[in-house]
Amino acid sequence: MSAFEALVESHQDKVYGLALRMTRSEADAAEITQDTFLSAYQHLKDFRGDAAFGSWVHRIAANHALMRLRHRRVTQAAEVELQGPEFTPRGTLADYPVSDWSRDAEEKALDAELGQAIRQSADRLPEGYREVFLLKDVDGLSYEQIAEVTGDSIPAIKSRLHRARLALREAIDAFYNRDNRGP
Amino acid sequence: MYTCKDSINLLLEYLEGEMSPEESRHLQEHLSGCSPCEEFLNTYRATPSLCKRALAARMPKEVSSKLTEFLRTKIKSAS
Repeated sequence: MSAFEALVESHQDKVYGLALRMTRSEADAAEITQDTFLSAYQHLKDFRGDAAFGSWVHRIAANHALMRLRHRRVTQAAEVELQGPEFTPRGTLADYPVSDWSRDAEEKALDAELGQAIRQSADRLPEGYREVFLLKDVDGLSYEQIAEVTGDSIPAIKSRLHRARLALREAIDAFYNRDNRGP
Repeated sequence: MYTCKDSINLLLEYLEGEMSPEESRHLQEHLSGCSPCEEFLNTYRATPSLCKRALAARMPKEVSSKLTEFLRTKIKSAS
């Protein structure tokens, strides 16, 4: 096995996972992964080695996935705004959290049903929100790197990230409190 | 004094340490007297790591084999 093949093997799951979550298509994810590693090979001389190979290759993958999404988006309707939690007219939370499930995030095994609920909720996020959330919270890109690949401003990226986190927090909260709330 | 709405709108900036000391103090004052917001903060903070674990994917073996074959062919034809 060549040194490059070893690098591919180390990073292929993360690249494929990012592409799969961004495009929601296994076929697109497989093609994006191929294009990503081919681009990486062709531009190895540009890899300065001062950043981790993983971070560099994930930025290439994000670029390929975004290009594919932009191409698709031409025919799509305008993106919806994500709503956050509801508040009373006095600005207090309308729906209080019933249980604090934050410690579960540190447990080793993730409940299979919860995993499914999170994946469904992430897939339902409007594209602009999903992109930012995946690039920042799942793939670990910096705001500057995300601004570079998306062409959006950092304040706009942070605003969408916050909205996406609120929506996903809501989905996880609904899972933990599914037996505690009425219809 | 911040409301729950003000506080929740500022959570990202708060967790990233980007608020002024005065804003941060206002928010901490609200959180210390509002247990729903304190729990909201805890769960908001825990959300990315739970999602990261749920969204991790393994490339199917067949796709991995095709990737290796694709790259070997392309690299061979380029050299």
